[in-house]
Amino acid sequence: MKFRFAIIFFLSALLFPVKAQDHLSIQFGYANNLFNSKLYFDAITEYKRLQFFDSAKTYNYDLNFKIGECYKAGAKYDFAVKYFSFAELSARNDDEYYDSKTQIIRTNILRRTTDRALQLCDELEKDQRFISKKDEINYWRGWTYIFADDWEKAAKSFAKINFRHELKIFAEQTDKAKVSVTFAKVISYILPGSGAIYCGKFLSGLMSLGWNFLAGFWTINSFVEDRIFDGVVIAELVWLRFYRGAIQNAEEFAVEKNLEVANKSLRYLQNEYKGIKP
Amino acid sequence: MIFKTKITERLLFIFLLIIIPPTTINCQLTTDRNLFTSKSRLQFGNYLYMDRDYLRAAGEFKEFLKSESNDTIVFRLANCYFKIGSFAEAADNFKGLFFGTQLSEEARLLYYESIFFQNDYKSLRELAEEKIYFSSKYSQEIERLKYISYFLDKSTLPDENIVLRNFPDSVQSRLISFYQQKKFPQHKSPTTAAILSTFIPGAGKIYTGEIGDGITSLIATALTTYLAISNFKADHQFRGWLFTGVAAFFYVGNIYGSAASAQIYNARIQFSFDKEVKLFFEQRNYFLPKIDF
Repeated sequence: MKFRFAIIFFLSALLFPVKAQDHLSIQFGYANNLFNSKLYFDAITEYKRLQFFDSAKTYNYDLNFKIGECYKAGAKYDFAVKYFSFAELSARNDDEYYDSKTQIIRTNILRRTTDRALQLCDELEKDQRFISKKDEINYWRGWTYIFADDWEKAAKSFAKINFRHELKIFAEQTDKAKVSVTFAKVISYILPGSGAIYCGKFLSGLMSLGWNFLAGFWTINSFVEDRIFDGVVIAELVWLRFYRGAIQNAEEFAVEKNLEVANKSLRYLQNEYKGIKP
Repeated sequence: MIFKTKITERLLFIFLLIIIPPTTINCQLTTDRNLFTSKSRLQFGNYLYMDRDYLRAAGEFKEFLKSESNDTIVFRLANCYFKIGSFAEAADNFKGLFFGTQLSEEARLLYYESIFFQNDYKSLRELAEEKIYFSSKYSQEIERLKYISYFLDKSTLPDENIVLRNFPDSVQSRLISFYQQKKFPQHKSPTTAAILSTFIPGAGKIYTGEIGDGITSLIATALTTYLAISNFKADHQFRGWLFTGVAAFFYVGNIYGSAASAQIYNARIQFSFDKEVKLFFEQRNYFLPKIDF
């Protein structure tokens, strides 16, 4: 009888850890609900609470990963990288390690620490465990170049995945839509205002051309009429001012145009693109 | 046989009796741990506080204080608000520790600090003058804060000796320099600059230290005037009037520019003085002791 009683007692005692586990999982579920409701600040609090009371560190990886995701969603990228790094350290298998590492890359892309993101991509690529993940690594490398405004290299990275990759075509289109700053400046040296016209600023380009013609006429006219000093002063103060202005304008317009093109493409990627984003 | 079974049963029973209770207790502890009891909140809050996650720690302490009272936790809560820059809330919470607690003196000092960091220098000086909520233990620190505040706003400085006697010898010469700069700022008059430029274009800018700009203004005005005269002489009426307009624009612009230059000079002087003073006191933590619990 005593023995049977002891067996029952022993079995009931065995049930307790299951119940204890439930408590932690309930808390994890509660924190996940907050996370899914995009209440990131509260979610972090609850994940941290669970992390504090989870003395067996059962949820260590998941919690660090989730906290990192919360910080990332709240644009606190430095904290996000810190927690993804903790997740990387507490990863229980290669998949978890890979996931946390890619999250670190994605966060670096968002905070525009391009060199670090590329360095991490290279590290992952060299790692023999992730030989099958090459496409994914190239995908994030492409995104890194997009955020670094290097659309040509981005297209090359996406081309390594698939020559007809959607983002490869898109990056090429963006690169083609951009104008050359050097070319805009050079043609402005030859014909003032042409750089602005090349960048699509027709009125500004024509005005610049007009001012240069007028100032040039005054200068030459002064020399023709033997008013040498007059000619030198007009050339220096008026003609050169418009000539230099045309070159400067060409450069500024080209930079501005490139920025517009890049921003338009980024807006498209942010709002319209359906694939995975950093 | 029966005897043997009974012995085995008894041994097993004793074995289970020894093994099970710790397991059970351990499990019980884990099972019964409600993460939202005031004790748990206090533990978690303290952890967050040590981890410098003050905003979350404040939340936990607030919940804890709803059910229990604890002066140290009230102090920590106030300190959390202080650390995250919510100085008004910090001051309110420090106030609650002024009477009948062991942390009264520290709370009073931190109350003054909260008002100081709210940039409410006028209130700080009034409270310190009237000795309201004054701390006898930290009286010197509060006095220092009061005199530092004079350097940080536009109020008139008290007598030099009164200000300086509250600070250590090692910083006296720097403070004398700050005092002189604050009392007699090296400002330039915009009116003088404008008048100078009226008589000699560019002179006002040279007066405000913009020598290059002043000389350029002089040359630009002189050249455009010359070009206007030269064109009129060559009977180029249009160009003559055009350069007259440009010369007039340069002349008037240079007068206005000189006055603006004086104002910019004064603003720059004030800005660099404020920055220097702030940095000086910040580096020394405003001569305040580090208080934490």
